[in-house]
Amino acid sequence: MMQENLIEEIVREVLKSLQTNQASAPACGAKAEGKTSLDPARDYPLATKRPELVKTPTGKSLSEITLEAVLKGDITPQDVRITPETLEMQAEIAEKVGRHQFARNLKRAAELTHIPDQRILEIYRALRPYRSTKEELLAIADELEQKYGARMNAALVREAAEVYERRGRLRSA
Amino acid sequence: MQISEQLVRQVVQEVLASMGQAESAKASAPEAPAQPVSGLTLTELGPAQPGTKADEVVIGLAPAFGLYQTKTILGIPHAVVLREMIAGIEEEGLRARVIRVRHTSDVAFVAHTAAKLSGSGIGIGIQSRGTTVIHQKDLDPLSNLELFPQCPLLKPETYRAIGRNAARYAKGGSPNPVPVENDQMARPKYQAVAAVLHIKETEHVDRNAKPVELVVSFK
Amino acid sequence: MKRSKRFEVLEKRPVHQDGFVHEWAEVGLVAMNGPNDPKPSIKIENGRVVEMDGKPRSEFDMIDQFIADHAINLELAEKVAAMDSRELAKMIVDVNVPRSEIVKLTTAMTPAKICEVVGHMNVVEMMMALQKMRARKTPDIQCHVTSLTDNPVQIAADAAEAALRGFNEMETTVGIVRYAPFNAMALLIGSQTGRGGVLTQCALEEATELQLGMKGFTAYAETISVYGTENVFVDGDDTPWSKAFLASAYASRGLKMRFTSGTGSEVQMGYAEGKSMLYLEARCVYITKGAGVQGLQNGSISCIGVPGAVPGGIRAVLAENLITTMLDLEVASGNDQTFSHSDIRRTARTMMQFLPGTDFIFSGYSAVPNYDNMFAGSNFDAEDYDDYLVLQRDLMVDGGLRPVSEEEVIAVRNKAARALQAVFKELGLPPITDEEVEAATYAHGSKDLPPRNVVEDLKAAEELFKGPATGLDIVKALAKNGFEDVANNVLGMLKQRVSGDYLHTSSIIDKNFVVKSAVNDPNDYAGPGTGYRISPERWEEIKNIPWAMRPDQIG
Repeated sequence: MMQENLIEEIVREVLKSLQTNQASAPACGAKAEGKTSLDPARDYPLATKRPELVKTPTGKSLSEITLEAVLKGDITPQDVRITPETLEMQAEIAEKVGRHQFARNLKRAAELTHIPDQRILEIYRALRPYRSTKEELLAIADELEQKYGARMNAALVREAAEVYERRGRLRSA
Repeated sequence: MQISEQLVRQVVQEVLASMGQAESAKASAPEAPAQPVSGLTLTELGPAQPGTKADEVVIGLAPAFGLYQTKTILGIPHAVVLREMIAGIEEEGLRARVIRVRHTSDVAFVAHTAAKLSGSGIGIGIQSRGTTVIHQKDLDPLSNLELFPQCPLLKPETYRAIGRNAARYAKGGSPNPVPVENDQMARPKYQAVAAVLHIKETEHVDRNAKPVELVVSFK
Repeated sequence: MKRSKRFEVLEKRPVHQDGFVHEWAEVGLVAMNGPNDPKPSIKIENGRVVEMDGKPRSEFDMIDQFIADHAINLELAEKVAAMDSRELAKMIVDVNVPRSEIVKLTTAMTPAKICEVVGHMNVVEMMMALQKMRARKTPDIQCHVTSLTDNPVQIAADAAEAALRGFNEMETTVGIVRYAPFNAMALLIGSQTGRGGVLTQCALEEATELQLGMKGFTAYAETISVYGTENVFVDGDDTPWSKAFLASAYASRGLKMRFTSGTGSEVQMGYAEGKSMLYLEARCVYITKGAGVQGLQNGSISCIGVPGAVPGGIRAVLAENLITTMLDLEVASGNDQTFSHSDIRRTARTMMQFLPGTDFIFSGYSAVPNYDNMFAGSNFDAEDYDDYLVLQRDLMVDGGLRPVSEEEVIAVRNKAARALQAVFKELGLPPITDEEVEAATYAHGSKDLPPRNVVEDLKAAEELFKGPATGLDIVKALAKNGFEDVANNVLGMLKQRVSGDYLHTSSIIDKNFVVKSAVNDPNDYAGPGTGYRISPERWEEIKNIPWAMRPDQIG
């Protein structure tokens, strides 16, 4: 998992140096592999500058979330939630204004959007000190990775399992 | 506020600086064990065992209580505090058992340790400066039944009421919480002194030490 | 000794009610530059930190490891470590070196290095630096809205008034924990009655706070505490990893959040490991950075009596705010707890943030009288409103408040109380009487309100918390009862979590629901005439306190 961090770091640095080298190239309308390329100065805040990019988990646009629609019962709690795609876009903006750790948090968040509230709370509690054995934490990491595709979060939990073991913060089995 | 901050606050709100305490605040090393506290003798009996009787409340003393420190932040002798608390428990027809918790000075964990060893599942934790918690064994450590964070406001009668309420919980009741005053200005007055007292308590923590059964006698 | 009358007078001054203690560096009772603070160092091998601040990796505690692996931008770390700390301090104060250049260097420092750098500054230089380094250009303020009796009608009315007075962020908490859903809902409805776009939160135990956010009763969270030593962190029942996960959990629901820490908490909890308060607080700032959280509430917060009691403590509190901005984080800079019996002292303490301006000068100006403040009182409260307006006017400083008229305050309080009354009725909660609405309209504090049936309230609050009701049900209840404007505002807050714009650093939301953050309102201070300047309109507002006399009407 250290390796993963390292690889991530290297990839990030390489991408960054590429970006810097191309800084003088025209950025207008740039698209990379079908993904929009966001410019913080031009596109943020998304809700007002690029509303067409923002969708609810049910595919509605922001302009469809109106008082009338709420009263008609067309808007459910599912409609006032963020999607992983939107979080990825916000992460891209964060990255471009130099906030790398914050961007990574948003990417981890994108992975968690599909996990039910209750399970999120359980995993949080399991990560508190003396709550879990190493095996239990590793099982959570596997679940995050395999069931939800949450690779970054799985790495975080595995890292915690190792540190808790080294520092004696695991629950004794 | 999050619970650990409450704990911080408890600490925050203490200290009536009697002369002796003001002096001890300047000391730079842990004091030697005090002479037996006037009026209070605590005799160690060996490792504290889990209780089996449902009619007991366990009082957990923090590491320095009655030993290295002898009065609360308000200057109330620990003998008085303990006598009142035990009297409160006995008023309700229950028995008090006293242990010393040595592995932590955190009042929530002291109280939770006492509760886990208590036959009724109810324990009281108390720090030398006077901060007190009533706990129940099935609660999260940082949760509690009743928390008395502002030790500068805790008087002898409050400790008796705390004992009484703990006993009522042990009998399965839901007593009205012990009323406590709130003083917004306790923080600027007492917080630093409370911190010093807590540091001096924490110096006597032994992370690996087990709770010890005590016999209490008053002169 | 025969007493000097002068000394007797001095001893009766309020400042003598405050507690002062000498330093005790061995246990960490020292504000900054402690004799046991580590010396800065960093060694990197194969992209991995193998030594930090004099400690080899094999000896890292949890916090060292988290900081080394997540918080420091390593590219420039060795270069910055080799730079002279005093030269770095000069660059930070120098108006000719842009913030964007400074951030590259400061985010590559180790905790000991950043303490050494700020240790070269006096408070005026720290204020200069804070003015330049805060993330958002426009300064702002947050308030506390709480009630000694957890009275929801009072909370709604006070929130509405506070919004009118200019607070863009509001925090409540509870006396009795089970009241939380009522307090959160009252704050939401009250704030959105006063002005659409105000951000609200309810400070609770971590997991409960998240649940309220998930339900849509709050818009953000702040009371996610972190500590600078491993023992205290664990006593706080968390680790940097559990807190980092929690941070992502909030963002995954589209909710803004910041962490909380502050000088003095470790020594207060008895495990400062002999390090200075500022050094340990610097570690908290790095944990926040490493967890990827956008911002931090610090400035000692609930431990202010500890740095406040030792020499240089209030300088250290300013330094911790500054370090937060140097790591490119939002800072909600304290001034939120009773600090001193002396009005002179408490005002001087607040000037450190008021004059340079921060993202939130107060992370809790008490919008209620201090007896109602359930955070154990704030440094400024509702009874100081007019003093504060005059400070803004005297110094031509934008402290975030605006003068208001009695008529408009009465009107907005009444509307908020009625809106809450309607929602309670619609959701089948214990009724709010017209008498309560009337009392809340004209009240100063909870003593002016009739008591509620606490047992019934708590039962209903618990059911509300466990039940399926969400923010959308509040929207419907408001709209059905003639409060379409408030309903639209509450819906506007819920919509924020779809776009996620307000997740970004230092976000606030204007009355048109447009997010203003460090991304689209970056601080570009570069000396006189640059950065945030009071606009002519805002100056008119600040100037016109209602009780100033007009020269043409004198004589």
